[in-house]
Amino acid sequence: MNLEDHVRTRSAMPVGTAPELNQIPGLRRIEQFSRDDMAALCMDETRAVYPHDTVYGRFCTIEEYIDCPPDQVFEYLADPYSLHEWTWSSRNFQPTETPGLLVGSDELADNTRLFCKTVTNAAARTVDYHCAWDQGAELWMIYLMRVIDARLVFGKPGSVITWSNCHHPNYDDNPHPQSAPADRDIWVGDLWPMFYAGHVVEMQNLKKILEYRHTHSLPVRPWVG
Amino acid sequence: MSNVTPISFVGAASAFPTRIVENDFFGTPGAKQSAMFRGAKRRHHVEPGQTAVDLITQACASLEARLGRSVTDGLDIILTNVSIPDMPFTGCGAEVARELGVHPQWVFDLHNYGCISFIPMAALAQSLMTTTGARRALVCNVQTAGGRIFSDPKIRQLPQAAIPGDGCGVALLEAGDSRPIEHIVVRNFPAYASDMQIASGEDASWWEPRGDQFSINFSRAKVARVVGRGNRMVPEVVQATCDQAGIGPSGIHTLITNQPNPVFLRNWRDALQVPTERHIDTFAEHGNLFGAAMPVCLARAEEEGRLRPETNVVLGGFSHAGDYAAAAVIRWTEAA
Repeated sequence: MNLEDHVRTRSAMPVGTAPELNQIPGLRRIEQFSRDDMAALCMDETRAVYPHDTVYGRFCTIEEYIDCPPDQVFEYLADPYSLHEWTWSSRNFQPTETPGLLVGSDELADNTRLFCKTVTNAAARTVDYHCAWDQGAELWMIYLMRVIDARLVFGKPGSVITWSNCHHPNYDDNPHPQSAPADRDIWVGDLWPMFYAGHVVEMQNLKKILEYRHTHSLPVRPWVG
Repeated sequence: MSNVTPISFVGAASAFPTRIVENDFFGTPGAKQSAMFRGAKRRHHVEPGQTAVDLITQACASLEARLGRSVTDGLDIILTNVSIPDMPFTGCGAEVARELGVHPQWVFDLHNYGCISFIPMAALAQSLMTTTGARRALVCNVQTAGGRIFSDPKIRQLPQAAIPGDGCGVALLEAGDSRPIEHIVVRNFPAYASDMQIASGEDASWWEPRGDQFSINFSRAKVARVVGRGNRMVPEVVQATCDQAGIGPSGIHTLITNQPNPVFLRNWRDALQVPTERHIDTFAEHGNLFGAAMPVCLARAEEEGRLRPETNVVLGGFSHAGDYAAAAVIRWTEAA
């Protein structure tokens, strides 16, 4: 039975009673973990403050509301040349011999090539930039963005954007040192602790650009003409 | 502000009912203790016939013994705050005056401000000193809800019944800048004014005849909201006070807060970057002392010799379901 059929017919099936559920250690489900237990756990886990590394150590996710329709936001992000506008330091993209793969520069550091392939899903309005410094063979630095219709989640026109990065081991150890410029004294992963702050800057750029164009009825796109 | 009479903290003392109530007094026999309301090992309960006035006079005797001086000499102001008062209508300030043998110019029995009442009471005393020339104030905070409500045979089965503990803190304040209480900030959040409600199984107002005792309503939804508010508003108001006072995180030498539960205490310490040993914590022995907690903690800190000259004692907290938050700084000196 495929998943679709299963979902359609599951009301007639005993779901949530698989025997291994009782053997998997550490599950907290209402059958064994009472409302009172849950309330106490949640109270204990709800802090006034959280260390930066707890929140942004393994993942860096930021969100923003943008007053611009979601389809326009998606189309803008899906065009990788928009990175020239809203990122702080990604510039000079041009095609490579590999279809869909661009190479540009990350002006964060001297002589640093930035490779980028854009993977989109229009139905889900996801835009993922698969990137890497110095070489385009292994694109491990992935920016995962999703555009959500704010009418659904905030009850007002516009878009919500979520943007996630995962702390890939390559951030800690450059897997292709031979590709790096000899005199470069910085690695992109050195900056992981500042990703939150840096990405907020870029998200604010994105918000300001899109809201300006939308409110001034200008074309929401990164090119002229 | 230069026209405001400075007010100083002279000393504090506490008194507790003799009846100590252990954890097994609460909950349903045989059921496990709710983890939601854990953290107290014991607490005191006032007994029938025991009054807030009794506790205040005991605490005053203790304060006199420790200070080695009279607390009644030149006493111009008596302020009281009692969670479940001895008497509606009259308050108990005049009875306190009678028991102490004084005739103060001003007596105020305040019933609002709950867990932070000590701070606005200090502000009120300062106002009276500034405007009327009064010199000495006795501030009395008494929590009586433990024995008067939460010891009821039915109410004590509720998980939250184990939290309140009874006790009394008194503090002597006087005009002058020998150990000044400064940068008092009191905030009111009217939107949260109705979020703490009397609850009972009967459709009756609290003053109406009923078969069963009432209690305070703590639904899960309200607990979640109050947790969020408390986590936010206490660090904010303490920060505002510290900013006024020019105190950075390392300048909070002693933190004294209300004592609602161990989770709030931990969260406030974390948010204010105050190490555990610099935060006075009486929760395990006394439970939630409501408004009495701040003067009781001040007394505890003094008794244990934890307050050093030329340090900042920072007070902060919130009341009820978040209707008030307050903070203040005491510039500690050897003797006021």
